[in-house]
Amino acid sequence: MTAISRTGLNRRTLMAGAAAGVLAAPHVSRGQGKEPIKIGMPTVLSGRFTVVGDSARGAAGLAIDAFNAAGGLDGRMIELVARDDKARPDEAARVVRELLNADGCHLLISSSTTAGAFAIQEVVRETGHLCIQTISETSSLTADPKIRLPNVFRGARQVVHDAIAGASYAAKVAKERGLKKWMTNSPDFAYGRDATGQFVESLKKIAPDTTIIGEAWPKFMAPDYTESLTQVLTSKPDALFTAHSGGDIVAFMDQAKLYNIFDKVPMFTPNLADLTSIKQIKKLPPDVRSGTRYLATYPDTAANHDWHDAYVKRNGGEPSNWSWETAAGTAFLLEAIKKTKSIDGKVLAEALRGMTIDSPFGIGGKLTMRAEDQTLINYAIGWGSVLAEPPYLKNIQDTDWSEIFHYETEWKKSKGFI
Amino acid sequence: MTARLELILGAVFAAVLIAIGLSLGDKAVIDVLMRLSIFSLLALSLNILVGYTGLVSFGHAMFFGFGAYVFGLLMQTNAISIPAAAAVTLLATCVWGAVSGALCIRLTEIYFSFLTLAFQMLLYSVIAGWVSLTGGDQGLMGGIPRPPFLGIDLAQPRQLFVLTVIVSVLSALAIRQIVQSPFGYALRMIRDNAERARFLGVPVQRYKLQAFVLSGIFGSLAGILMSLYVSGAYPNFAFWTLSGDAIIMIVLGGITVFLGPVLGAVLFQFLNDYINRITEHHGMVMGVVLLVIVLGLRKGVLDVLDEWRQSRKPRPEAAP
Repeated sequence: MTAISRTGLNRRTLMAGAAAGVLAAPHVSRGQGKEPIKIGMPTVLSGRFTVVGDSARGAAGLAIDAFNAAGGLDGRMIELVARDDKARPDEAARVVRELLNADGCHLLISSSTTAGAFAIQEVVRETGHLCIQTISETSSLTADPKIRLPNVFRGARQVVHDAIAGASYAAKVAKERGLKKWMTNSPDFAYGRDATGQFVESLKKIAPDTTIIGEAWPKFMAPDYTESLTQVLTSKPDALFTAHSGGDIVAFMDQAKLYNIFDKVPMFTPNLADLTSIKQIKKLPPDVRSGTRYLATYPDTAANHDWHDAYVKRNGGEPSNWSWETAAGTAFLLEAIKKTKSIDGKVLAEALRGMTIDSPFGIGGKLTMRAEDQTLINYAIGWGSVLAEPPYLKNIQDTDWSEIFHYETEWKKSKGFI
Repeated sequence: MTARLELILGAVFAAVLIAIGLSLGDKAVIDVLMRLSIFSLLALSLNILVGYTGLVSFGHAMFFGFGAYVFGLLMQTNAISIPAAAAVTLLATCVWGAVSGALCIRLTEIYFSFLTLAFQMLLYSVIAGWVSLTGGDQGLMGGIPRPPFLGIDLAQPRQLFVLTVIVSVLSALAIRQIVQSPFGYALRMIRDNAERARFLGVPVQRYKLQAFVLSGIFGSLAGILMSLYVSGAYPNFAFWTLSGDAIIMIVLGGITVFLGPVLGAVLFQFLNDYINRITEHHGMVMGVVLLVIVLGLRKGVLDVLDEWRQSRKPRPEAAP
């Protein structure tokens, strides 16, 4: 056996490699000596939320690889500099300053959790750098004019959109099944309160006979949900809404199984239909309804299947909701760079406002960055019944974006945002 | 060393720091120097309790968080100038320090430590829970306005840097004066033997409370500077981990030498930033590095150097 075959290389592989080298050579030589375009990515790379950072880095890396392979920006390659903010806002503020001032990053993709995202918002308020927020779904980040900034765009879904989609679906199920008495059980932090409050507000508008008979707010990342679960047992609601996510929703459902709570009470959540969560549930109750976070089969298009496969091939794990959000945000940024041939934040911001791009995650294969509040719209949201096996969600009902826009406008007016 | 000489040395030190920051013109250098100034002040303020009074507070970051939030909230009213907001914040810190301190100093050793921790977690819970006022876990949102005053515009990073260094150095000099005063020596006496101090007529409880409040005021001032620097305030500022970081800074640098906490803050921040840049397993690496330093030296760096310096001094001849 030759040395070459022992290393797994054969003549065909070598020829393919040589061909790739020849094809890439013009781009490589053109890019040599040119300063790379640095994109800083503060994100969570340690602790319980590592999945956020891994998802975001993997998705942005996939998009940037393709951009660089196509020659970059006139030969200038993009370099992604990801750094751990430890899911702490103060550390996020420090890290983003470091990325801008010490590492010389030109642009930012903020893939920090909500608290970090708001801290980063304050840093770029001062520095003026262009920043794409790809993880924080908290509505006020872009909806509240006091917090929104001209140099910050959201490439992620938004709580108010999910709340309206969930409430619309829940209202239909409630009408069919006579579900009037609801309970909520959500984590006591910004996202949990935001998601639950907006779901309840929307549900009461769409189904006015809804009453909330109890609400529980266990601590975020609580190890024990016994107290709030026994509250469900004694209150006997018709249905329960929860905004727990990630490892929390897995722990919550596993502990609820001890009391067989969800054998009798249908559960609604925007956060379960995500490959990183659903696969962790040991035994799924019979009647759980969820919104689509990320599934390879929703939207059920060739583009989404291809993106899923490419992601798995590059990163080795399944993509999550945070992956598609970061992929979408990065795609907008790269498209703006290509279109303007610039990395000037103001030029890019002007191009991004109102931009529509082809995307596997959009309704009809299109995503739009709404100009008025610089946030992502027209992404695919569906709700259905959760399955323990692939495709994980059945009877998916697509949400009509005109309904989202209608209730979102009402919500913004009620908050004094418009 | 006379007070005047210390003042001159402090002014020279501040001038050198400012000159380095401004002459290099590098935002990264300015960022680092500002953070080092702020954390040095935090560590120095804690050392009034730990090093000079013998009271190990596990809750010192409550003053840091208190200062940042009260100042930030006042500035967000857009009805008050920066010096006035800082003055009101420090006054409020006095009250908060006196109330919490009056209860804490009744206890000693580990019981004192845990009561300070309890007060800190009380404040943290208020910050995290009072979402409509504090922004909850997202922190104060919308930025902290920095209207110009007396010709100083803190919205300009360079001016903010100069002010941060000057305030930190002046605070360090003030702390130095406090610990070198008769009051400071009384604190050392309390640390070494509170009973003896009491028999000698030192009002132990009153002095402890004064030390607690003074320590809180400087901790709060560090929080004010931090809120100006990051243009916000976050619950982590009042979390127990930051108190832990401050204790580690003191332990690293040394508690018996005045500048020990400053060196500790520099070492700690350098290690934190450097390790965070080179590995995602920073928690583990930082733990190992700290373990090696603490087990290797068994004292702070400046404590060891001071001992070595003392050992080289010629001993007085024994009397014949």
